[in-house]
Amino acid sequence: MTVKGTRKLSFATLTIPAVLIYTSVIIFPIIFNIGLSFTKWSGLGTPQWVWFDQYRRILGDPVFWHGLRNNLLIVAVSVFGQIPLGFILAYIIYRRMVTAGRFFEVMIFLPITIAPVVVAILWNQIFSPAGIVTELVRIIRNDPRYVFKIFENKQLAILPILFVIIWMYTGLYMVIYIANLQKINPELLESATIDGASEGQILVRVIIPLMVHIIFTTTIFAVTGSLKSFDLIWAFTQGGPAHYTEVIAIYMYLNTFRYYNYGLGGAISMVIILLSIIIILLTLFVYKHFEKKYE
Amino acid sequence: MDAIGGVKHRSSLWLLPACMIMLFFSFLTLAPLVWLLYSSFKPHQAIIRNVFSLPETIHFMNYVTAWERGNLGLYFVNSITYTSTATAITTFLALAAGYGLAKFRYRVTGIIYAFFIMGLLITPHSVLVPLFVLETSLNIDDTRIGVIIPYVAFGLPFLIYLATSYIRGLPDELEQAALCDGAGYLQIFWRIIIPLCAPVTSTMIIFAFISNWNEFVFVFVLTSKVVLRSLPVGINSFAGGLTRDYGLQFAALVIGTLPMIIFYIFFHDQIARGFAAGAIKG
Repeated sequence: MTVKGTRKLSFATLTIPAVLIYTSVIIFPIIFNIGLSFTKWSGLGTPQWVWFDQYRRILGDPVFWHGLRNNLLIVAVSVFGQIPLGFILAYIIYRRMVTAGRFFEVMIFLPITIAPVVVAILWNQIFSPAGIVTELVRIIRNDPRYVFKIFENKQLAILPILFVIIWMYTGLYMVIYIANLQKINPELLESATIDGASEGQILVRVIIPLMVHIIFTTTIFAVTGSLKSFDLIWAFTQGGPAHYTEVIAIYMYLNTFRYYNYGLGGAISMVIILLSIIIILLTLFVYKHFEKKYE
Repeated sequence: MDAIGGVKHRSSLWLLPACMIMLFFSFLTLAPLVWLLYSSFKPHQAIIRNVFSLPETIHFMNYVTAWERGNLGLYFVNSITYTSTATAITTFLALAAGYGLAKFRYRVTGIIYAFFIMGLLITPHSVLVPLFVLETSLNIDDTRIGVIIPYVAFGLPFLIYLATSYIRGLPDELEQAALCDGAGYLQIFWRIIIPLCAPVTSTMIIFAFISNWNEFVFVFVLTSKVVLRSLPVGINSFAGGLTRDYGLQFAALVIGTLPMIIFYIFFHDQIARGFAAGAIKG
């Protein structure tokens, strides 16, 4: 065989196993799913072709819209909660405003290693009517009959979950920002200080422009990560009570595996994919806009 | 930390709020975990009576009962099997693909790479329904292999990203020299690339290990047999169905958390680096 031929063959041997597994588990199912989403099928018998019926059904279902609202709230706390908080924490450690910054870094990053299922059950105990929050408010208000009942409120039931999402993932963004802040040339900061720039000016004029890129990259990760939230909420509330804390992934799970409507489940999966694409494109659009402004 | 970024501070205006924010966040992180740990040694009645109190005696029975009733021994073994098999396969395949994508410049190389990077943005839930249907029709639902394959597939994009960017930075000269000595590309991969990749390999292994250990949804959806459950799925059954005994629940949570916390204490630096690497080059 020719040298070029061996080279090509080696390239194929190296990459094909990974491509094969990736394609058969991720790409092929997505394509298969497009077909599935146009059918009505209970898992047994022949699927019935129903065109856009399942999509129409989703759009007419208030449970879906409440789930979408909860998903968007999760996107919002990720982008406007975790990212700024993570940045503030990283900045404090990077600028050595506290001693033992390293210790704090290790502590705050810790929750990321704990399984979402464990985190959910732990916090469910804290927010449950017999949990820590109830007990704390009783002590503070001196009212032994107080019971924390936020999960009974349709609009507010998602709040404890949003809080836990911030608790769990802020450390991740902090670590990412610390790693990137440390790449900034220290001379830049020194010369800014010599020129008499204040702490605030250094942050706004020197550091943030250098970090715009990474902030937007993490924003994209935060957005796609937000649509992944299933385990945490499932172990927390299973989407209940009465769908109050449901997100689209749970809506999909229940319709497919509890009510055996595979076509509908397929259609919801398509909606999840479309939503991630739309939100990522929006983020990219905003990024391009900002990039121009900073150049 | 080294000197980078450390700038002497003139005003204490920033220091007090900074310190308070840090203390607040660390407290918020640690307090629930500490509470969980000591509560796991209290019997159910003692938790109901006073959620805050420290255990009067060390009630170790919670652990014994939770371990037995929750089948946690079996789930532990399953989790170790899934996690280590999937981690080993994913890491090896990602190194191989990473070498191919980094050093072989064909027209298709860039396309394949972009194809994998796209996978970073795909959530497992968007393929769950079709994956379940396909696995059922292939009769590999409810098998270990049916669980491990999705673990590997969803681990690949990020590990390939890590491996490719690392191998791209390796000098071409070593490869050229080996070629002159008559070595084939696969030998080069095995004898030169893999040893040179040791630093990134450890990051890859640690990252894959954590995500596979905490993975929930594939076992939850793709298996129904109790003997195939992993630890997170087993612990989830403590969330309501299995028992209302808080002591048992807390003990199960500690059992699920402790291995990762110990792992974290030993490998904090690599873990942080692995997660940070995900966004460094963007």
